[in-house]
Parts: sequence; C-alpha cells; structure tokens
Amino acid sequence: MEPVILLIVGYVVIGGLLACFAAHLLPVGGAPAAMGTATGIATGTVQIMLGAAMTGLFTAASVDTFTDSLLLVTLSGAVGATVMICVVMFMANIIYGFGAGIVPVSGRVDVDPITKEPQAPYKTPQCDGHGVPIVVFVSGSLGGFIGGFGGALMYYTLLNYANFSAGTAAIGAISIFVANAILAAYNIRGTIEGFHDPKFKRLPYALVASFAVSLLCGIVVSLTAILGGTL
Amino acid sequence: MPIEVVLLFAWMLVIAFLAFIACTFEDLESDIGSQSNPNSQVQLAAQVGQINRFFNKAISGEPLSNAMYCVTAGTIAWILLMQLEPLVPGEEWKAAVLAIPIGVLGAVAINMIFSTTSHCGRTAAMKRFEQPIYLDVLYGHLIPIGAHAFMTTFCITWIAYIQSNIGTLAGNPALDHPFALPLLCFVWGITVGSIGSSTGDVHYGTEREFQDRPFGEGKRVVYHGKITRYASCGVRTQKDIAGFCAKFGGPCTGMTFGLIILFTNWTTLVGMQLGGFLPNLPAFTAIGDMAAIWTIVLGLLIVAALAVGNLIFVKWVRKKCGPFVGV
Repeated sequence: MEPVILLIVGYVVIGGLLACFAAHLLPVGGAPAAMGTATGIATGTVQIMLGAAMTGLFTAASVDTFTDSLLLVTLSGAVGATVMICVVMFMANIIYGFGAGIVPVSGRVDVDPITKEPQAPYKTPQCDGHGVPIVVFVSGSLGGFIGGFGGALMYYTLLNYANFSAGTAAIGAISIFVANAILAAYNIRGTIEGFHDPKFKRLPYALVASFAVSLLCGIVVSLTAILGGTL
Repeated sequence: MPIEVVLLFAWMLVIAFLAFIACTFEDLESDIGSQSNPNSQVQLAAQVGQINRFFNKAISGEPLSNAMYCVTAGTIAWILLMQLEPLVPGEEWKAAVLAIPIGVLGAVAINMIFSTTSHCGRTAAMKRFEQPIYLDVLYGHLIPIGAHAFMTTFCITWIAYIQSNIGTLAGNPALDHPFALPLLCFVWGITVGSIGSSTGDVHYGTEREFQDRPFGEGKRVVYHGKITRYASCGVRTQKDIAGFCAKFGGPCTGMTFGLIILFTNWTTLVGMQLGGFLPNLPAFTAIGDMAAIWTIVLGLLIVAALAVGNLIFVKWVRKKCGPFVGV
C-alpha cells in the first residue's frame, strides 16, 4: 500500500471528526429560535454548518491558488468559516434586539460562564432562552473555526493528495462534511447551545459514528483516486 | 496602483453589493411563502383551529432549495455561454447578458412549480382541520414569489459569473477562481439560503407572525400556532408581510450576506496585495505564503472586531431592556 493512501484516509477521518465536533459547538436553535423560544441561530444543524463550511471552502480554494502549504490553506478555510458564523450571530442579535426587543439569554445556565452575568432574570417564562448570548457566541465561533478547518483539510487532501480537480475535490469534501454534520444533528436532536449545554456530553457517541463514516469515506476516496487513475 | 488591482477591488465591491441585494430578496421570498423555520407556525395554525390565509410552501430547507435554483440557473447559463461566447470573440460579457437571465428564468419556473405543489399539497393535508385552499391566495402569491426569487437567483448567478471570471474581467486570467460557474452557484446558493434562514426568519417568526402579542419577549410555547391573522385592514396575507419585513429583517439579512462576501473576498485580495502577490503572480513561493498569512491575520482581526462588537451590543441591550418584568 502506498503511504499517500494512508495520508488521504487519515486526513479525511480527522476532517470528518472535526466537522462532527464543530457541529456540536454551534448554537443551533432550529425552528423555536425563529420564534425567540430557544437560544441560538434560527436554523438546523446541517444548514448552518454547511453555510459556514461553504464560505470556508471558498476562502480555502482562493488561498490554495497561491500557496501550497497545508496549514495555511486549512487555517484560511477555518478563518473564512469563523467570519461567516460570527457575522450571522452578530446580525441575528441585532434583529433580536431592534426588531423584536429581545435580550440575548442562555436557557441552559443561570450565569454566563464567561461574563458571569445572570441569565435567569432576563428570560421570558416558557421559553428556552433567546438570542445569542456571549458564551454561545464564543462557542459558535469555535465551532466555525474547527468546522472550517476540517472542511478545508478534506478539500486540500482531495485536491493535492488524491489529485482530484478543484470542483470534484470541493464536492467530495462537502459531501463527507454533510454526512458528519447529519450524524451530529441526530445526536443533538433539535437544539444545542454549545460547549456548556448538557447535550454536549453526548459528543463521544457521535464521534464514534463519525469515525466509522469518515473511515468509509476515506477508503472510497482512495479507491476512486486509484480507479480513476489520479493516484 | 496598477489598473488590474484597482479593477479587482472594484469587482469585489460589485459582488458585495449584488450579495446584499440577493440575500435581501431571498429573505423576503421565504417570508412571502413562509418557507423555512416560521413555517412550523403556519403549519400548526390550522391544527389549533386558526384558519388562515397564509401561503404555505415548505419546499425544503432554504439552503437546499436555493442551491437547487442557483445551480439550475448556473448550469443553463453555463451551457448557453459555451454556445454563445464563440459568437462574440473579445466581448464575452455580451453572451453573459443574454445567457444569465435565460438561465434564471428557468430556475424561477421551477421555483413557482414547487411553490404551487408545495402549497396545495400541504394545505390539502389540512383538510381534516377544515383549512381551505384559497385560490386567490395561491394565484396572488406566485408572481411575488417568482419575482423575488428571480432577483435572488439573478444576483447569485452574476456573483458566480464575476468570480469565475474575475481575473479575465480585471485583465489577468490567472486570477480566475478555480471553481466553475455552476459550482460557485452551488456554494453561494447554499450560503445565501443558510443566512436567509438563520437571520431573516427571526423578524418574520418572532415579530410579524405574533404581532398581537407583547413586544420585547420571546414567544412562549403557549402562543405557538396562534399566529396573527388580521392586518390593520382586513385579513392578513403574506403580501402585507413582505412589506413589513422589507423595512428591517430583509435589509439586515442582506447586509449579513453582503458583509460575509465582502470580508471573505476583501481579506483574500488585501492579503494578496500586502504579500506582494499582485499583480505579478509568482505561483507557490514564499510570496504566496506571505499573502495567505496576511489573509488569515486580517480574517482573525475581523473576527475579533465582531466578537467585541457583539459583547458591547449584548451588554447595551441588556442594560437598555433590563430584566423580564411580565408575568
């Protein structure tokens, strides 16, 4: 077996695990967040993770045209995804604040672990929090960074080690990314606020499943590269 | 500064402006059809006895449906471009002026077909709750949905066209983005839907759907399904809602996508400029690495600025609104 195959499978597995881990860090509010009934971003896990990963991938692909450094390409993908998620969370807060007069509040903790500000007195009864408070913003930024890093790592691997074309590498990386984000969505079951949420403790189960899926994806990518004659 | 570099920055600003328009209309289009997350309330309304005249199209999550329209438009445009560009050598943009609107019209036709089947299917399934299919609601909303979708898809396809040809347009073909036109349509279709879903829905779902409930509180679970069905004059349909959301939610959503496009392109271009990569393009050297490092540093600075801005805003809004005082 050629060492490069091990490299492809290894990086795809790492990228997949990071994608799954990142999805647990994102503040996913789902449909309730659109009504200000739950904390987080008002959309599903896969939807927001995919949006962030796409932006990261675009930046990584741009940077990949002028550098061949693995670290720089993946870091630029990570930063691109973080910028996307930060702008979304900030603007969501603007709409919550000015459009609906709602204060960003965590529903899972009584005191914000970062700013130490009380949360419970600001919360509307019968709601699971609302808006994007500070701890959730920090968690979401970390999620964007890690997810973008994972996505860009897979893109770089497919492009430069498996020698796919830029388009095929992008579609391949996003496909593996989506599979892992969906696994995370099953694990999250609805809404999650981030690393301080009790649901975050379910992470190991998702990582085991993600490892299996990513390993399979890595093998398929290697087989495609060998059979396609690019390796 | 060489003209190629100036043109690159100018095209980047055009792209950011198109992104602003695209996402504004994307959000309004989803509000008119009540697609995405607030759709759960329209769906629930009939089940809790609230017969309504809302348009109910939940084709799929917004990212996927928008990606579908944009890729359809991009693919049709791309095929037409390959046929038309040889006819106008040296002035390829003339082919794009014809090809892109035709592609977008195809995508809009698909959108309107999906809207019709989705609305009729969903509403027919509520027969047991005695929710009728109002034909005037169906006919009256299809054109606004199509018009807004046209704007979104049109702008996204132009963004993809400009990005896939940005080097050629600025005078240096080596700077074209490596992704083909339909793939860029896919990337930005997913992203525009993702942002329209996560940001814009809040104004429609939290405020407009529950406008007769107290302002300044999250919408409690007991309110769910009991949407505001009456406008200031007569029964409310989504035509009123588009006008309302266009005043705040839509532009905010547009700004979100516009800022994202601006930041991601700006950091890359400024990084290339600061690293000394433009306009000479020495590929895969230390200069390229330096450009990438600048891109990353600038991106991190923007992230830090956003984090600080959010911290200040959250503290301000907490102080301004104060603790919850209702019952």
